[in-house]
Amino acid sequence: MPREKYSDKNDNLYKQVDAYNLVENLESCLSCGKCVGNCPVASLSPSYNPRQVISDVLNGNSERWLKSEEIWRCFWCAGCATVCPNDIQFPLLMMQLRYRAVENNYGLKYIMPFKRFAVRAREDGLTFAPSEKGREKIRRYRSNLGTSPWPEISDRAIAEYKELFDLTGATEHLEKLSDEAEKPVSLSYTEGRIIND
Amino acid sequence: MTEQRVVSPEELFPEVPESIFLFRSCTGSMEYPGTENAIKEVMNKLGVKIVMDPDQTCCSGYLLTCSVYKPELSLAVTARNLAIVERQNLDTYMFCNGCYGYNRELAHIMKHNPAYMQMANDVIGKQGYKYEGKTEIHHVQELWYRLKDEIAAKVVRPLKGLKVGVHYGCHYLAQQYRILDDGGYPTFHEEIIAAIGGTPVFYKERQACCGYSVGRGFTHKEETVQPHLYKKFKSAKEAWVELMTTTCPGCNVGLDREQPNLNKRYEDEFNIPVIDIAQLIALALGVPLKKLGFEANTISLDGILNRLGIERGE
Repeated sequence: MPREKYSDKNDNLYKQVDAYNLVENLESCLSCGKCVGNCPVASLSPSYNPRQVISDVLNGNSERWLKSEEIWRCFWCAGCATVCPNDIQFPLLMMQLRYRAVENNYGLKYIMPFKRFAVRAREDGLTFAPSEKGREKIRRYRSNLGTSPWPEISDRAIAEYKELFDLTGATEHLEKLSDEAEKPVSLSYTEGRIIND
Repeated sequence: MTEQRVVSPEELFPEVPESIFLFRSCTGSMEYPGTENAIKEVMNKLGVKIVMDPDQTCCSGYLLTCSVYKPELSLAVTARNLAIVERQNLDTYMFCNGCYGYNRELAHIMKHNPAYMQMANDVIGKQGYKYEGKTEIHHVQELWYRLKDEIAAKVVRPLKGLKVGVHYGCHYLAQQYRILDDGGYPTFHEEIIAAIGGTPVFYKERQACCGYSVGRGFTHKEETVQPHLYKKFKSAKEAWVELMTTTCPGCNVGLDREQPNLNKRYEDEFNIPVIDIAQLIALALGVPLKKLGFEANTISLDGILNRLGIERGE
């Protein structure tokens, strides 16, 4: 009796998830579970389980994670990678799982809040520059320190940063980003219990 | 991956550099501008010259990991910024674990994947840049550790055994090669605290992350970030931590700004100021208070300053 019941077996799926070829040693996973033990999110939401994610990705069964809320809970703290005996860079897999979820219209609500930050960063050359009221505070704090009121970033830097968005397709990607086709995700953990679908 | 993972500070810096390129951090120059300033003040006292370049932009890593950017953009941004450093023939020093981790990771990817290096250089070539992969990427805390004896010798405001709980931040310890500790049981930060007269406190959740690194503070604040930080601060409070130090202004946002919310939600009383370790070093070395920018902090430093007998105007 196999421990897992595998469905939609697809040998290509591992490479489909790792589209950028960033986690080439995923198959060296020992299933030791140290990643789970060192994961702050798994300790709060036990249905999020990095070891299980790796096993499912390797076995062409990642679809259920794409539909999950669990993958959006990862803090990206890399606690998993820090203790991995085979140095598997799980956060880079997680990053790509999220891309894949989004391509399938799952989890869009978890990236839409950042669209406006991204659009603004494209104009500022800086991330998280606040609105005008917040800028006033930054100028005051910086002036009190005796430094320039605004971070010293040149017009050239701002223009070239913006241009990189255009040259790499990021501008187009951002403009297209919308949650119109959003599909729901689900969390398999409630009232202290893991629920299987 | 063939490079040594953990190296001693002497191996990392056989010679203490005369000049370093300091990489501007968005959070460290806007949310907590005292961080950047404290580093400049301390480096000045240590005789290390700081070079910055207004042509440098944001590292773009934060929004990359929030999944709104694709790696293509961040590879090009990283290549462009590091090409600017290479023009100056210097090594790059980050003071934000985010900038450090993303630049390190993306530079590593480019150096080991010629196709990605080519792709990035094709893009930035249009702006007249070329990234060669020569500049080494460091975190400024490595220099604090390398120079801790020199720093200790310059202390003019003793910390009187102040109980300091350290927050390492994840994206330094998660690196794969040439770092000061592999994250098993790091102590280098505590050693710096002890060298400047503080009492390091090994509270239980000291290695727990800030929870904010990929935007979970916006999307899962109640579900995961707050319960996670509650555990962290509860263990810090139980260990009588008076002050928390970080090496990442991004961590400061999570740890400092979130405490009043935790107090409301959990009916507890957390009141632990959070500052960058450079701000604490600067304080010990006698840098005037107004150069440290504590007014940006949500949790006031007043109690700590009283405890150390430092007047507001100093």
